[in-house]
Amino acid sequence: MLLVLLTEAGLFVLVVAAVLAERPAALGATGAVLLATLAAVRFVAPLRAALASAFARHRATALLGGAVLALALPFPLAASPYWTFVATLALVYVTIGQGLNFQIGTAGVLNLAGAAFAGLGGYTVGLLTVSAGWPSWLAVLAGPLVAVAVGAVLFVPILKTRGHYLALVTIAFVFIFNILMNNFEFTGGPQGIKNIPTLRLAGYAFTTKPAVFGVPLPAHANFYFAALAMAALTTWIIRRLYDSWLGLALNTLRDDEIAAKCCGISITRGKLAAFSIGNFFIGLGGAFYAVMVGFVSPPDFDFGYSLVMLSVIIIGGVDSIPGVILGACLLVPLPERFRFLHEYRLLLYGVVIVVMLLYRPQGLWPAAVRRYR
Amino acid sequence: MSLLEARGLTVRFGGLIALDGVDLAVEPAETLGVIGPNGSGKTTFFNALTGLYAAAAGDIRFEGRSLVGLEPHAISRLGIARTFQSSRLCLGLSVFDNVLIGMHPRRRTWLADFVLRRGRFRAEIRGAIERASHLLALFNRELPARGFVPVGQLPQIDRRRVEICRALASQPRLLLLDEPSAGMNPEETVELMRDLQIVSEEMPGLSVIIIEHDMFVIEGVSRRVVALNYGRKIAEGSFAAVAGTAEVREAYLGKETARA
Repeated sequence: MLLVLLTEAGLFVLVVAAVLAERPAALGATGAVLLATLAAVRFVAPLRAALASAFARHRATALLGGAVLALALPFPLAASPYWTFVATLALVYVTIGQGLNFQIGTAGVLNLAGAAFAGLGGYTVGLLTVSAGWPSWLAVLAGPLVAVAVGAVLFVPILKTRGHYLALVTIAFVFIFNILMNNFEFTGGPQGIKNIPTLRLAGYAFTTKPAVFGVPLPAHANFYFAALAMAALTTWIIRRLYDSWLGLALNTLRDDEIAAKCCGISITRGKLAAFSIGNFFIGLGGAFYAVMVGFVSPPDFDFGYSLVMLSVIIIGGVDSIPGVILGACLLVPLPERFRFLHEYRLLLYGVVIVVMLLYRPQGLWPAAVRRYR
Repeated sequence: MSLLEARGLTVRFGGLIALDGVDLAVEPAETLGVIGPNGSGKTTFFNALTGLYAAAAGDIRFEGRSLVGLEPHAISRLGIARTFQSSRLCLGLSVFDNVLIGMHPRRRTWLADFVLRRGRFRAEIRGAIERASHLLALFNRELPARGFVPVGQLPQIDRRRVEICRALASQPRLLLLDEPSAGMNPEETVELMRDLQIVSEEMPGLSVIIIEHDMFVIEGVSRRVVALNYGRKIAEGSFAAVAGTAEVREAYLGKETARA
């Protein structure tokens, strides 16, 4: 048990150090220590076995420890609103990633319109708050429902097609969505929707700088804690759905449609269920993003972001729920960290994905056998 | 009344007539063998029964209900389960998952149970896993212990057993076996025949249609045999009678021209 907690705490310290290191030398040093640690765990078999068995025996402790550390993260980052924001964005990507992975990984519904469905959530929030005067929290709850409704209506005929056709149609949908948002008058055209009012819960505005235990935190810490709750709840729900008749049926129809049909599973209904559930969480992430940054515009939801969402899944592990968390926590902050590399940043990012697909297609944290826990 | 009755069943692919007016009936608790050379329409017959191919003409009645126009999943829910000639298991999923999917249409818990009232779902799935273990143990006592192993790690014969278990898990009235001995060596074929014996002992009311190339298997398990050739039924009756028919011998061995 001690081993579990020590490992988690050590990893936490290393990650925070890597994030906060200002000078290249300090960054290089922490990066080297982090890599050396990971390599030791990977290649020293007894260490690896000891860790694996410790984590398997003390699952609850490991989860609790992880939760405490996730709650504690804003404190070491208190001096940097920027990194608090990046951490929050990672949690938004966890939410979106879980939804998208339920479609792509679990059901094999290759949805490349993640950005558009997030955009539907975001724009719904913008329109309902700015134009219709709804309170932000209500708009954030309405956003995902719009994403689900649009997805269900537009895609029922398309869900009958398989694999590549569906991918093509969803790509087209992202572009159509962008063109529409750019040209509609009521969505603000290329300017988008500005001044989306911030979240306000029981009179507490999320723009106030909180002080927790006497430590002053940046205003973004409010969103961090809210995003943490959202990502945790999303992961919890998706895990329970995955470990159920639904997850089993979706995995079966993904692997073999004919076998699934002959086992009494309706392919259309199964795919529609996966598509709708996924879009709900993608839309939720987009809606949350809109209130967090306070404005939405077409470039926030273009095809590039669909690819980032897809990469989160590929790096973490297709169909793997913990993989999504790992993928989002790596893929969102890392490019920010290497911002000093300027243009090469995106190149590096592309190289990482190609290397993953070539040498570890199952992802960094592959899906495990369903245990129905 | 027959459990299953096909009348004038015809399936066409463009100009090719794959099944040509086949009449066939299966009685409750009967095992019917279907033989015929490659391309004679045996698997097409199964695919038409299970709704994967649409019938161009004719009618199929199961327990008096017409199956024509029903979707495959609807037909499966009426109580027809099948296996496939080349295995259609999900190799990456566990042995239990592959059997449990057969019980999916009979589930009694839904979304709200999966997420909020988890206890109900767990109770149901525990029962389902127990039933899956029972089915697997009928064929091989070692299998339940490997329930959480990906099915791709099992040897061929055990995979075939898992596939039969998946079909049985749905508690069907009619089981369609499409060449279960395909790709097996003689010892494995003997084991398979023992397995089929177990099925008929465990589920006495179950009707089975079995497609086989291995005449040894057909002779051993089915009392009545139907022979197909070029999509038409050319013989029907006991194995000995069908095997002795001139048309059947001709279909398998070619025309007898002259005797030395």
